[in-house]
Amino acid sequence: MGSLFRSEEMALCQLFLQSESAYTCVSELGELGLVQFRDLNPDVNAFQRKFVNEVRRCDEMERKLRYLEREIRKDGIPVLDTGENPEAPMPREMIDLEVKFEKLENELKEVNSNAEALKRNYLELTELKHILKKTQVFFDEALYPPNLPYDQEVYFDDDERINLLMDTSLHHLMHIGFVAGVILRERIPAFERMLWRACRGNVFLRQAEMDDPLEDPATGEQVYKSVFIIFFQGDQLKMRVKKICEGFRATMYPCPEAPADRREMAMGVKTRLDDLNTVLSQTQDHRHRVLVSAARNIRAWMMKVWKIKSIYHTLNMFNLDVIQNGLIAECWIPVANWEDVQLALRRGTEKSGSLPAILNRLSTLEAPPTFHRTNKFTKAFQNLIDSYGVATYREINPAPFTIITFPFLFAIMFGDVGHGIIMALFGGWMVWREKPLSAKKTDNEIWNIFFGGRYIILLMGLFSMYTGLIYNDVFSKSINLFGSSWHGAYNDSTIQQNKELTLDPADVKQYDQYPYPFGLDPMWQLSNNKINFYNSYKMKISIIFGIVHMLFGVILSVWNHKFFNKAMNIYCEFIPQIIFLTCLFVYLVLLVFHKWVWYGAGGDVSTSPSCAPSILITFINM
Amino acid sequence: MTQLINIVSHIKTSPESCYATSGRMLDSLFNIDNGYLEGLVRGFKNGILKETDYLNLVQCETLDDLKLHLQSTDYGHFLANEASPIQVSVIDDKLRDKLVAEFQHMRNHAVEPLATFLDYITYGYMIDNIVLLITGALHQRPISELMPKCHPLGTFEQIEAINVASTSSELYNAVLVDTPLADFFGECVSEQDLDELNIEIIRNTLYKAYLESFYSYCKSLGGITAEVMCEILAFEADRRAFIITLNSFGTELTNEDRKKLYPQCGKLYPDGLAALARADDAENVKQVAEFYTEYRALFEGAGSNPGEKTLEDKFFEHEVKLNVNSFLHQFHFGVFYAYLKLKEQECRNIVWIAECIAQKHRAKIDNYIHIL
Repeated sequence: MGSLFRSEEMALCQLFLQSESAYTCVSELGELGLVQFRDLNPDVNAFQRKFVNEVRRCDEMERKLRYLEREIRKDGIPVLDTGENPEAPMPREMIDLEVKFEKLENELKEVNSNAEALKRNYLELTELKHILKKTQVFFDEALYPPNLPYDQEVYFDDDERINLLMDTSLHHLMHIGFVAGVILRERIPAFERMLWRACRGNVFLRQAEMDDPLEDPATGEQVYKSVFIIFFQGDQLKMRVKKICEGFRATMYPCPEAPADRREMAMGVKTRLDDLNTVLSQTQDHRHRVLVSAARNIRAWMMKVWKIKSIYHTLNMFNLDVIQNGLIAECWIPVANWEDVQLALRRGTEKSGSLPAILNRLSTLEAPPTFHRTNKFTKAFQNLIDSYGVATYREINPAPFTIITFPFLFAIMFGDVGHGIIMALFGGWMVWREKPLSAKKTDNEIWNIFFGGRYIILLMGLFSMYTGLIYNDVFSKSINLFGSSWHGAYNDSTIQQNKELTLDPADVKQYDQYPYPFGLDPMWQLSNNKINFYNSYKMKISIIFGIVHMLFGVILSVWNHKFFNKAMNIYCEFIPQIIFLTCLFVYLVLLVFHKWVWYGAGGDVSTSPSCAPSILITFINM
Repeated sequence: MTQLINIVSHIKTSPESCYATSGRMLDSLFNIDNGYLEGLVRGFKNGILKETDYLNLVQCETLDDLKLHLQSTDYGHFLANEASPIQVSVIDDKLRDKLVAEFQHMRNHAVEPLATFLDYITYGYMIDNIVLLITGALHQRPISELMPKCHPLGTFEQIEAINVASTSSELYNAVLVDTPLADFFGECVSEQDLDELNIEIIRNTLYKAYLESFYSYCKSLGGITAEVMCEILAFEADRRAFIITLNSFGTELTNEDRKKLYPQCGKLYPDGLAALARADDAENVKQVAEFYTEYRALFEGAGSNPGEKTLEDKFFEHEVKLNVNSFLHQFHFGVFYAYLKLKEQECRNIVWIAECIAQKHRAKIDNYIHIL
């Protein structure tokens, strides 16, 4: 039968590779994807294997590429993914790649540190600008105090109405020093408390919030800060205040006292800020250009590095043959692909230009691995079967039967034309747009599950439409395609006076003695005993299908017993299974059919519905 | 039926009322608030390195081999983004970062009383951080240099303003009064300037108050938590008493001062502590330990000759044994404390092995403490 009926025949082979051609041969075999290597060094530690240095170099390259990818994503540059599959580069090209990545990483690191320094500068200047603006308000009040009673309580809030200093002359007399700075907004309460405690209430703090958030150079996120100014008297307090400011990471700025100096400083800060802005934007542009050029190739580079790494991991599994300076490998190959593997090996040895590789078949008593050759359609069903357990070598594969039975049994349970159409359309859309959707490579698990099962969903939808027509169920309503076989043949007065009337199938006027051509009669939708009828019908159908299914599975096992030449199994397993199944469950199915056929309306009392025996009781009573 | 209703009505259904009646919670109700975290911490504990891992680690020739081997353990790719060549300090930091992340996750998901319990564990690190910063300030180091050396679990908001204080009363009034450590400060407030000796005394006094407070909190929780934690904390208290005594010989610390530093929640209280206060050399200390079976076993065979384990190592081993045993009970908070301590010991082990490899001095590479 077809290739999916049984798992493929596998052969254990030994591969002799010359050291020079080992890399290219493994690369070609990797592209082929039909060989499974065995680990010939299972008890060797990871860091004692032969090619561990190369694997480490690949790890380093991967690290650099990951760094680049992070930076690219941070800037929001889209990564170009053409879906191309570059071949693994030769070992000597690996050095070129390493050098290239090193250069890129260093360049990016330099640009980043420059940008950070510039941003820090920018932040300082912005803070200074805000300080100069806000302290203007603090000092203004000192010069022009509003008319308030002098014993008014001092309170700290954003209104900036109350002042401590009464006029400038008094201010100079008291030799009050001050310190101005900027601090994160969330630290202000603790900062105030600490100041109060440490200086025993001898300092005075004024603070004002800055409305715009500033960018923190290290993390890049926006933070809100406040401007503060602390007035104190004496040097000791000054030291203490400075220490506390350092402790809370408040940056202090020199703020001149005289308003004229402040205005001058503000102008200087403004020009410097403008200059810095231009330099900063140029740095950002440069960085952007570097990242864009890297983004074009990064996917291809990543694939190349992964391929190199996996080739060296595979080479680590080989045994070293010291005598002939070669490597020995053991692998499982499907017998049908023997020629393809030979061809791949020849290509590999030609590329590296050395002696050809030798492929020997070994005979072994070991159980070979199970290999099913699937395509994109059958793969989903094979996965479904494998989740219950992988079939043993050369056993009949349930997957080809599952292609039909699984969606059909689902449809028996689902059975709605309307919802079936929606499901079939969804599955159909996923199948139609297969290529672009699979190229997207999202991490969303739920989407990946649905997309992986697109063929299953399509089939389930189609079958559901069929069973929906049989159940006559469209969004839980019935449709009348062919005209109902039931007619309400009562006269008007009877209909007006009775809430419920019974339609008797024996009566020719009420029931055309032939059933609805396809599916359930739509009249059932209107009846009171619809649930009674539907449930009994659906349960019996399910039992019949289930038992047929089980019987089919048991009968399949005969092929397996014949194939493995185990005649004893046929007598000791198959025959007893069939006897057991038949005597119990096929008997039950026969009872169901008999009841359907023998008992009905319009006939003898002994075959009327009122005399129909219960299948359950009959079955239990045997 | 009525009997069933009577029985049901006797069972308190809310956890709060469970505490009110007996001071301990029914085991069956433990999982409501703490089931997820206990499951999580047991999962973490299963990832602690085993003997086979350590055998592989001591065979490593370079630090890169060490990194390769750690990739296959629960640590995974925690060093993946570090440029090679790696240094031991980087490994140490990353190991600690991973442990801190796990602890923070558990603390964020904890409700009372587990939240208070986990907070108590962090107070020990706060004490160490404070002492580190003050010592650094004494040696005129800038605060920005000292902050990365602080343990992340022991940070609090005002920690960087520590260098404001020059006497212990200032330290209390300005900085610590708003922190949870305020309660432990009771006896140490004085007007003396902070200097080397004072700082050690402050550290030990704080730690003594902290241990005793933790001990009484665990006791108030009752149940298996009290059993397990009080055993562990009692050993910690006695260990500190021994170490303080042994370290104080030949220093300016008088016997009376030393007595004030002994935590009183251990097995040595009151007679052993009184005897230790009178001890004058190592022999006397050993004689005091003779009266207690576990401690006699620790002191025996401990010495500084090659081939013998040092007393500190024996203390570590005993602590590890107590911590591992705490996992044999279920429905208690001791597993969180034990996991933290075991992971720290594992970090110390890995760093020891890494140092031996880095300095190519492999004679004592096997002197790590075996955990599992």
